[in-house]
Amino acid sequence: MIDITLEVNGASKTLSVEPRRLLADVLRHEFGMSGVHIGCAHGACGCCTVHLDGTPRLSCLTFAVQCDGASIRTVESLGGSEADHVLQQAFKSEHGLQCGYCTPGFLMTLAPFVEEMVAQKRMPEEGEIREAMSGNICRCTGYQGIVAAVRKAVTVGLDAGAA
Amino acid sequence: MKAERPKFIGARIQRFEDTRLLSGTARYIDDIVLPNMLHLNFLRAETAHATILDIDTSALADLDFPTWVFTGKDTAGLSMKAHQDVPEMQYSEQPFLAEGKVRFVGEPVAVILAEDPYKAEDAAELVFVDYDPLPVVGTMEQARDPEMPPLFDGWKGNVIVERQMKGGDLAAARAAAAHIITRTYRTQRQAGVPMEGRGVVAHYNPADRVLTVWSSTQMPHLVRTYISEELGLPESRIRVVAPDVGGGFGVKGQVYADEILIAWLAMKTGRPVKWIEDRREHLIASIHARDHEHTLEAYVSADGRLLGLKADITVDNGAYSTYPFTSAGEPGMVGKVLPGPYDFQAYEATFRAVATNKCAIGTYRGVARPSAVFSQERLMDDIAAELGIDPFEFRLKNIIRQFPYKNVLGFTYDEGSYAQSLEQMRELLAEDIAEAEVSKSSATRRVGVGIACFIEQTAHGTPDFTRRRTPIETGYIAARVDMSPDGEITIDLGLQSHGQGLETTMAQVAADALGMKPENVYVRHGDTMTTPYSVGTWGSRGGALGGGAVHIAATRIADKLRTIAAHLLQSKPDQIDLVDGRAQVRDNPGSFIEIKKIARIAQRNVEQMPDGMTPGLEAHASCDGPRDGTYANAVHAAVVEIDILTGKTKLRRFVVIEDCGTMLNPLVVDGQVRGGVVQGIGSAMLEHFIYDSECQPLTTNFADYLMPLAPEIPNIEVHHIETPTPLTPLGAKGLGEGGAIGPAAAIANAVGNALGTGVAETPLNTNAVWKLSQHIRETA
Repeated sequence: MIDITLEVNGASKTLSVEPRRLLADVLRHEFGMSGVHIGCAHGACGCCTVHLDGTPRLSCLTFAVQCDGASIRTVESLGGSEADHVLQQAFKSEHGLQCGYCTPGFLMTLAPFVEEMVAQKRMPEEGEIREAMSGNICRCTGYQGIVAAVRKAVTVGLDAGAA
Repeated sequence: MKAERPKFIGARIQRFEDTRLLSGTARYIDDIVLPNMLHLNFLRAETAHATILDIDTSALADLDFPTWVFTGKDTAGLSMKAHQDVPEMQYSEQPFLAEGKVRFVGEPVAVILAEDPYKAEDAAELVFVDYDPLPVVGTMEQARDPEMPPLFDGWKGNVIVERQMKGGDLAAARAAAAHIITRTYRTQRQAGVPMEGRGVVAHYNPADRVLTVWSSTQMPHLVRTYISEELGLPESRIRVVAPDVGGGFGVKGQVYADEILIAWLAMKTGRPVKWIEDRREHLIASIHARDHEHTLEAYVSADGRLLGLKADITVDNGAYSTYPFTSAGEPGMVGKVLPGPYDFQAYEATFRAVATNKCAIGTYRGVARPSAVFSQERLMDDIAAELGIDPFEFRLKNIIRQFPYKNVLGFTYDEGSYAQSLEQMRELLAEDIAEAEVSKSSATRRVGVGIACFIEQTAHGTPDFTRRRTPIETGYIAARVDMSPDGEITIDLGLQSHGQGLETTMAQVAADALGMKPENVYVRHGDTMTTPYSVGTWGSRGGALGGGAVHIAATRIADKLRTIAAHLLQSKPDQIDLVDGRAQVRDNPGSFIEIKKIARIAQRNVEQMPDGMTPGLEAHASCDGPRDGTYANAVHAAVVEIDILTGKTKLRRFVVIEDCGTMLNPLVVDGQVRGGVVQGIGSAMLEHFIYDSECQPLTTNFADYLMPLAPEIPNIEVHHIETPTPLTPLGAKGLGEGGAIGPAAAIANAVGNALGTGVAETPLNTNAVWKLSQHIRETA
């Protein structure tokens, strides 16, 4: 067992974990972040994506002990229980989700992409948006609503910047 | 009573369930955590066909943590019984844990339980199984070889079931034919792969004798019934809950042995038991789909009229029969649907399921129809090519135009838009067709256009199921609608929503019937404790029949509201309109009473109700499908661009024209169609579950089992035609599966069009297309 300290969505906790415990399991069971979903547990579907020190990472391919001292954000931190983050709202209006299982992973992958585009003050090309989500698998939507949601969130961000 | 003018049915309303799903506060099966819970790990067969000589669990005693282990000896006699009650079917059962023999890689041999899932997995590695290998039945050919040993004692060979359907005079059609075209088509084995795998949590409380089972299922009531029948508990004491379910696509539309086994284990151990499937388990041991071979022989007149069709259909079923649709379901469906949207009067189909040492075939989106439509629509293009007729022209010459239409097997089709959608698609594709024609001179880059025209029998009624003589005996959906004293509405829905948006669409239906807003309606589903008995969500029946049940129940409450309002407003019930939260007199809108006030009167101030009226605003209704179902129709079109030197195939455009009758919510309809199409693209170009000659699975992770990713998928253009059916209460036909049915055929026809060659099988991955374009490279 190894002692580690993780800061998850603003709250820090020190805990003792086996070296083999996946970050995804520790986030789900020790921190109660059930929005972290495991889709394949071999790093191929992106469902479990969280932000590790600000960067999207696969929590099923990461051991919790690798993250000692790290700051972690899960989907719960994005827009709270009302899901009022601009990208979450765009997923809703553009029908970018159906069963919702892959959705937290897509959100955590794409939120930084939207921020980046807004910072660059530009609307990404269709192919760029699709490439940005190429590490996430959605089995319900056919991706089209997700692409539209990204475009809408970037539009809202650009409009806010222009105002 | 006259229906109110729809205000919310047909509106593009954003989904109510989204906030829960987006915020991370949804509760899926792995989020069910109970005190004192044990975690289950399956020890699964590593060899495809073998006798179990011994299972050695002695090493578990040396562990420093407690474990519980069970094998087939402990569960002897418990099994899945999924039989078609006809003399042509050989009987088999799937034991909960293998008894004596294993019949496919992945079959559960033992379960190991521990207080931590990691430890349960550790412990499972210490159990040793001694196998004595048996000859493997690995292909359709081997399964039909009488020399091969049967998979089950007492069987004659490995043909599980072989039956026929026929109509009209096939010999006469053959004799009259100017052209006889014979082709064999194959569609590959697939897995279904919802992003959430399956999982079960069970808890038994002996004090009140209540068993609660949470399962990631599309059919909680059927799970309840099977548990009751197999374990001998009354259904009243069993509660099955489908929590938020992360996709189903039919994979979760069967009752699995593990759902009953885990309930049994919770009773046996006295502790809650949890199992969460991992992805390898899902790929090798949930259900597989497709894996068909069809040989078709078409009889065509000199002027291009289809006179008759003969079909020979084989499905590689794998080892076991799944509940409730059975091994007979998949081949029987092909036999039934092959006549499709075309008008011809002679047909004969022989169809069979054969047993091999593979995972069982079950229902996956489209259920046999993607394969049937692949063959049907490839054949139409092959005939057109042989006769030198344009593929659109050939279809239009043979398409059904008069409704209702009684087909060659006696099934009655309600009205559709078959010819109109073909004509419209031809116009939409005009430029692509021209470009494809020009590209035929190129030896390096070809463009191809292909279509698939099909119908889908949806919302089947009870007669369609009783004809099958399988455990799925009915198909009705029930709903209970309740208006509480504050005027808010609850729907307890027999369907289970796993992405379809039923919490929104059913609210739209009730809101229209009751003159309220969808926001006033709370839809509950998936829990047998609160919802009325129903078969679950599958078979493209949710909107048509669930919507129908909600409409009927809500209308009964609306009628009562009108009667009370008429009493209070000194009018007549048929003069009362329910609109915008008010019950108002039709010709005097100034005379009204708020519906929520009536709701209070009906349940609190009951002395104000008409004399003799019973208090309460609750109604239960069920809606069965029409005898032959209601037939949705669609035309799909694909435009591909092929690099002849590498075989790389780009899907440039995919167009859908679909007709599902009345649309409850176009946002949801578009989502269902697009998602289905992309799964169909996976079937057409990528997804292939591969076994080697010893039936060892080779595609057990997402690096080997390839599904569509965003960059390779184009936007799916969706066009709607609405031909409401008179056969369901709202005019809705089913649509959940249709998107997945057409793509394999449309894409194969596009590839064939580009390369000037027939296409006999899927998947059309880069390697396959490269092989198909060999003749162009050779002549270049």
